[in-house]
Amino acid sequence: METSFIAIGFANALTPTNLMFMTLGTALGLMVGALPGLSATMALALLLPLTFSLPPETGLCMLASLYLAAMYGGSIAAILLRTPGTPAAAATLLDGFPMASRGEAGRALGISLTSSLVGGIISGIALLTIAPFLGKLVLLFGPVELFAIAVLGITMIGTLAKGSPMKGLLAGALGLLLAMVGMDPTTGTARFTAGNINLFSGVPFTVALIGLFSIPQAIALAEQARGKQPRPAQISDRVIPRLPEFLRLLPNSMRSAVIGVVTGLIPGTGGDTASWFAYNEAKRFAKDKSRFGKGDPAGVAAPEAANNAVVGGALVPTIALGIPGSSATAVLLGGLMVHGILPGPTLLTDYGDVTYTLIWAILLANIPLFLLGLLFTRFSVIVMRVPRMAVAVAIVVMSIVGSFAINNNLFDVWLMLGFGLLGYIFERAGIPTAPMVIGLVLGMLLDVSLNQSLLIGRGNWGIFLESKISLVLLAIAALSILQATPFFRLVFGRFGRRKAVPQAGTMAGDS
Amino acid sequence: MNSKSLKKKALIIAAALALPFGAAAQQYSAGSEVTVLQGFSPGGGSDALAQLVQPYLSKELGANFVNQYQPGATGAIAWTRLAKQTRADGRTISITNTPMLMTNYIMNPTITYSIDEITPLANVVTDPGVIVVRAESPYQTVEELFEAARANPETITIGNSGVGGDDYFSTIMVEKATGLKFIKVPFQGDGPSWAAALAGTIDASFNNLGITFPQIQAGNLRVLAVFTEDRLPEIPDVPTLREKGIDVVAGSSRGYSGPKGMSAEHVQQFIAAMDRVIANPDFLRDARERAFVIDYRSGDDYMTFLKNQEVTFKAIWEEVKDQAQ
Repeated sequence: METSFIAIGFANALTPTNLMFMTLGTALGLMVGALPGLSATMALALLLPLTFSLPPETGLCMLASLYLAAMYGGSIAAILLRTPGTPAAAATLLDGFPMASRGEAGRALGISLTSSLVGGIISGIALLTIAPFLGKLVLLFGPVELFAIAVLGITMIGTLAKGSPMKGLLAGALGLLLAMVGMDPTTGTARFTAGNINLFSGVPFTVALIGLFSIPQAIALAEQARGKQPRPAQISDRVIPRLPEFLRLLPNSMRSAVIGVVTGLIPGTGGDTASWFAYNEAKRFAKDKSRFGKGDPAGVAAPEAANNAVVGGALVPTIALGIPGSSATAVLLGGLMVHGILPGPTLLTDYGDVTYTLIWAILLANIPLFLLGLLFTRFSVIVMRVPRMAVAVAIVVMSIVGSFAINNNLFDVWLMLGFGLLGYIFERAGIPTAPMVIGLVLGMLLDVSLNQSLLIGRGNWGIFLESKISLVLLAIAALSILQATPFFRLVFGRFGRRKAVPQAGTMAGDS
Repeated sequence: MNSKSLKKKALIIAAALALPFGAAAQQYSAGSEVTVLQGFSPGGGSDALAQLVQPYLSKELGANFVNQYQPGATGAIAWTRLAKQTRADGRTISITNTPMLMTNYIMNPTITYSIDEITPLANVVTDPGVIVVRAESPYQTVEELFEAARANPETITIGNSGVGGDDYFSTIMVEKATGLKFIKVPFQGDGPSWAAALAGTIDASFNNLGITFPQIQAGNLRVLAVFTEDRLPEIPDVPTLREKGIDVVAGSSRGYSGPKGMSAEHVQQFIAAMDRVIANPDFLRDARERAFVIDYRSGDDYMTFLKNQEVTFKAIWEEVKDQAQ
C-alpha cells in the first residue's frame, strides 16, 4: 500500500507543471527569506489562497519548496548584512558575517547553500522512510519534556558567552526577563506590559532580532563609511565549496541535520531553536573552539543544515498525526483542508497520494534550490560592492519595513529601534547579543512548560524526574553547567584544562 | 471613565465623518474595496473563515476584500482599532471571534473596547465544544469522568486552548454546574491541548469538534460529550451535556462586525449578501469539506448572541478571577 503511494507521489512530483511551480516557489522563498521580517510562515499563508485554484499536489509542491528555500534565503542577509532574514538564521550570522567581512562572502554563502542542501535532503529522506514510525514519538514530548529541552537550551548561554561569563549571563538573564513580558499563560494577567496592549502577546521575537542585529550593523557601516571600501577582488571568491572543504564539513552538517530533524519533530520548537542547538554542538565537537564567532565555516554550516532539516522534521508529526510541528506546517495543513483533506491520521492512508507528493516535493525541491540559490547568491554578493553608507541606509529601511510587516503595527517599528539601541549599547560594552537571543527564544517555552508541568504534576517538582526523557535531558544540562566550573576541571584534570585555554582568548568578540 | 469619554469622542468623530461621506458612499458598489481586519495570524482559524466566505461574498456584494492581519493580544489590537480608530464608512470590517471578543476586555481592564462600540454584522460558524479523551482512557462516558473528579477533587487534569478562550470558560461553566473541581491546564491553542490528551499527559481535553474530528474518526480520540443544544448528525451517539442535566452550551464562533455607526444601508446590504452566500449550496459544500459548522446569525440576532455571552462570561469571571490569579 505505502510503497505504491511512494511511487505515485514520485511520479506526481515530477510532472512538468509541478516542477515549474516548485521552481516558482523556490524563487519566491529565496526572496522572502532574504528580506528581514518576511518569514516563511507569513509567505506560506499569503500564498495559500493563490494555490486554491491549483490541484492540491501542485499547490503543495509550491508551498513546500517555498518553505525550504526561505530557510536558506534567511542566511543571505545574515551573512552579507548581519541582518537575520528569518529568525532561524540568527545563529548563522555569528560566523557568517565575520567571513563576509574578511572577503569570503561567496565562500560563506556557498557553505550555507550546500549545508542547507544536506539538511534538506536528510530531512526529506527521514520524512520518506521513518515518518510513520516517528510520528508516535512526538507524543512522548509533553510539557515536562519541553521544560527539560528549554533548560538544556538555556545552558547554551555558557557557550555563547564568548570569554566573559558575567556579561554572557547578564545578556541571557535580560533575554529571559524580556521573554516574561506579556500575558501570563496560566492566569491571563498582563505582566510588565505597562498597560500597553501591543505588548500583551509578548515581545515579538522577530522584531527584537531585527533590531538587535541589524541596527548596530547599520551604525557600524555608517561609522566606517569614510574608510576605504573592501577590494572588489576579494568579493568574487568562489561560491561552490571545494570538495575537501565540503567533505570536512559533512559530518558537522549531518549531525546538525539530525538535530534539525529532531527539533522540528517536537511541537513547540522550530528552526530558531534548532539552529542554536546545532551551533552549540558544532562548537562542542570542534577541536579549536576559539575560531567560533570569528568566521569559522563550521559555524555557518551547522545552523544552516539544521534549519533546513527542521522542514522535514516539522512535517513528521503533521503527516503522521495531523499535529503541526511548527507554525509554517500549520499553514501547510490549512492548504490541505482547503482541498477537503482533513489533517489527521488519514493523511498517510486515504490521501497517501497527495501526502507522498508533498514528501517528494520536499526532497526534490533541493534541486531548484541549489540551482536558483547559486544564481541568487552570485547576484546578491554584489551588495558587497555597494558603498557602505548606502548599505547602512538600506538596512535601516529594510528593518523598518520588515518589523512593520510582521504585525502591521507601527508600535513594532519603535520596539525594533529600541532593541537596535540596546544592541548598539551591548556592542559598545562588549556584551554578547547571542545569549540574549537564547533567552528570548526559550524564555516563553520555559515559562509555559514549567507552569503546565506543575499543574499536571499537582504542584510536585518531582514530576521532572519521573519522565526518562526529561531526566536524561536535565542530566545533560547539569553536566554542561558543571563542565564550566572549576570543580569539573579539578576532577577531570588535564582534559578540562585543555578545553578551557582557548576559551580565554575569545575576548575580542565579533566585529 | 476613560472609555466613556473615548466612546463619546468616537461617536462624535464617527458622526462628523459620516456627513461628508453620507451622500456619496452609503452603499457597496462594484469594485469598492473592503478591508477585513484580522486579529490573528494568516493561516489561523479566522483566516480560514475569510478564505471560505470572502470569495462567495465578494460575488454577492460586488466588493473586493483585502485581508489585513494585525495579530496580538488575542485579537484585542485589531478589535481596539475597529472600535476606536476606524471610520464607519463600511470600508473596514473585522472578523470577530467569540468568546475572545468579550473575554479580552472582561479579563483585562487595560483593554478598553467593548461590543457596544461595534456593529455586529453576521456570525457565520460555531465550532461546538466537546470533551475528548484518548482511546486508551479508562473513562468511557462523561459520567465516569465526572465521577472520578467527584471521588478525588482537584486531581483530574483538563486541557484547554488557553486562558480566556472558549474551552477555558466552558470548563469553568461545567465546574459551576456540577460543583466539581478540575485542574485546568492551559495550552497554546486547541492542537497542543488535544495532543496532550492523546499522549495521556492530561486526563481529558475540552476542545472543539471541527478541530478534533479527524482524530475522532480515526479512533484515536473518544468524545464523551458535546456542548450543543441537540445531538449532532456527525456524532449521533455522543450525548449533549444538557441531556446529562448540565446546562452548558458553548463553542467557538466566528463572524463579521463593523465599527459602530455603520450606515443602515451598508449593514442591510452586507447582511442581504451574506444571506445569499449562506443559501448557496456550493458554499455549504465547501464549508462541510473544511469541517465548518454553519451557525448563521445576522444583525440584531448576532448582537443578542454577543450580549448574552458577555453577561455570562462577566458573571463567571467576577466569580473566579480571584482564584485564577
